[in-house]
Amino acid sequence: MSNKNSAVHAKKAEIFCQDEARVDWHSKALWTVREKRDRAAGSLPEWEQLRQIGSEMKLHTLTNLGQYLEEFEKNCLENGIQVHWAKDGAEHNRIVHKILADKKVKKLVKSKSMLTEECHLNPYLEGHGIEVIDTDLGERIIQLAGQPPSHIVLPAIHLKRGEVGDLFHEKIGTEAGASDPFYLTRAARAHLREQFLSADAAMTGVNMAVADKGAVVVCTNEGNADMGANLPKLQLHSMGIDKVVPDIDSASTLLRMLARNATGQPVTTYSSFYRGPQEGGEMHVIIVDNGRTDMLKDKILAESLKCIRCGGCLNTCPVYRRSGGHSYNYTIPGPIGIAVGAQSDDTNSIPWACTLCGSCSYVCPTKVPLDKIIHHHRRLKAEAGKLPYGKSSYMPLVGNFMASETMLNCSMSVARTALKVLPGSLLKPFSGAWGKYRELPTAPNSSFEAWFKKNRG
Amino acid sequence: MSSKDYILNALKSSGIAPQAMPVFNVAPRIDDLVGQFETNLNTVAGTLHREGGLTALQLKVDELISQGLQIISMVDAIKGNREVTATAHELRDIDYAVIPGDLGVAENGAIWVNNKNLGHRVTPFICENLFLVIEADTIVANMHQAASKVTLEKGEFGTFIAGPSKTADIEQALVVGAHGACSLNVYLA
Repeated sequence: MSNKNSAVHAKKAEIFCQDEARVDWHSKALWTVREKRDRAAGSLPEWEQLRQIGSEMKLHTLTNLGQYLEEFEKNCLENGIQVHWAKDGAEHNRIVHKILADKKVKKLVKSKSMLTEECHLNPYLEGHGIEVIDTDLGERIIQLAGQPPSHIVLPAIHLKRGEVGDLFHEKIGTEAGASDPFYLTRAARAHLREQFLSADAAMTGVNMAVADKGAVVVCTNEGNADMGANLPKLQLHSMGIDKVVPDIDSASTLLRMLARNATGQPVTTYSSFYRGPQEGGEMHVIIVDNGRTDMLKDKILAESLKCIRCGGCLNTCPVYRRSGGHSYNYTIPGPIGIAVGAQSDDTNSIPWACTLCGSCSYVCPTKVPLDKIIHHHRRLKAEAGKLPYGKSSYMPLVGNFMASETMLNCSMSVARTALKVLPGSLLKPFSGAWGKYRELPTAPNSSFEAWFKKNRG
Repeated sequence: MSSKDYILNALKSSGIAPQAMPVFNVAPRIDDLVGQFETNLNTVAGTLHREGGLTALQLKVDELISQGLQIISMVDAIKGNREVTATAHELRDIDYAVIPGDLGVAENGAIWVNNKNLGHRVTPFICENLFLVIEADTIVANMHQAASKVTLEKGEFGTFIAGPSKTADIEQALVVGAHGACSLNVYLA
């Protein structure tokens, strides 16, 4: 999709990197979350076994997805839940609007849903005169700031308390200059309580859809999903086709890992199972494809649909931590954002926002092979003739060059001498973008090959 | 073709090899379930009252009532000063709700609550503070055991509650009391 704010990852990252102190703060905050995750995972001796079970269970479900979705729908209908199917984001938005319009809904309270971000639901509904209130604190902050989320679990991780304080002062009337997180959170609680109590309908995302029960599971720490869904008489839940799991034990297994891997908590505060509407209420589930069936056809991309959106891969990613969530040119940032968003990235650059270090794959609770998928995206871009950064012109030359032993040996020898005898200021320009934030290396006395022949040969 | 048929049809050509459903044979940690539960409940900012049971809880409730607070009890043996309201919205001024939990989970401090014991579904969320009551012998080791025991009949709502509501959305600073209850005290009956 074309976007007027599109720019290659490196360019957007450069904007974020202008404030070095903020980058360090951002990186450290996320690394702290990663460390909490390590402690939580380490506290369970069966952690690796759970990852294996989680991965196999998700793969099993994906290979029988049609059957499980039909079972889920059948059981939902028996529970009095209305089920809708949407091919893409546009159809999803039309369905949601029709449900709301039929009930003359004027105000909708929403809890966090990356799917509705993906479908750009909020602007669509607002364009039709429906007021949409995001109720997760982080989501509400960025909604008031007019920004997209920069993280899938911590949407406002890029903002500092002073910035939130200024925003709340302007938008919800907190005291000028107040930036204490407790004070600001309680002010938001009071402000959003009025919204919950006056809403005509509520909407949530879905963490898992339990096929054999016909139930959806929604997890929050704040309680906003349950405050919303259980006050107005109309509740809507949007889910990607990849959210279905066979049974409650499958859902419980994922619940054991979701919060531990996301924030290091043993479980989210609320893990709620909706197997039907409240008395006198109405409940709708919208099942959305939006490109997922296409991904399933490619055996490498298909594995990204095992993802349970814990955000663990973002917290550990050295590129995400130092380039920020707004640099990815896709709604979902970080490794999983590249995996599921590279095809819609009109700058064709996000598969290169990665060092291929593989840390993401090792922390993933369902063993999504993220580095392998990202590497695969680079191949797909090359095959489609869409390499960014001029790579299509110079990479073939680099390939030929490095394939020739004579040329490579000869040039490395020249480089070692140059690094020793020439001043850095003269050489730096030759290193291009690589040298922008790096010092040139110290040259060794000989090549590894020569060293090996002499010492080990 | 309907969108449902379109999606189901598209799913017929999957690129991944068939995978059998794995066996969920995770060994539970069964030593000192109440102790494990208490440790994890503390981690999620809840408090366990091991001694005194319902008598201690009623004394606490009486004390709160004498302070002029609004208390609704869904536990038969505990008497509050408010009844189930006609609409869910009328619960907005409830200071404390007393609710029975079906079972506790040692590995994470969560308690399963079923809507049959809630009056309105929103009760445990809209109250300012929450008391949950569970029987000690209903505490199971982990979520696998909980999955096989929770009650969730057709049309019902049920939720695992682990501590009071909380958020760390402002600079990762933990604040207890987001949109749901601001405190959770658990009494063993």
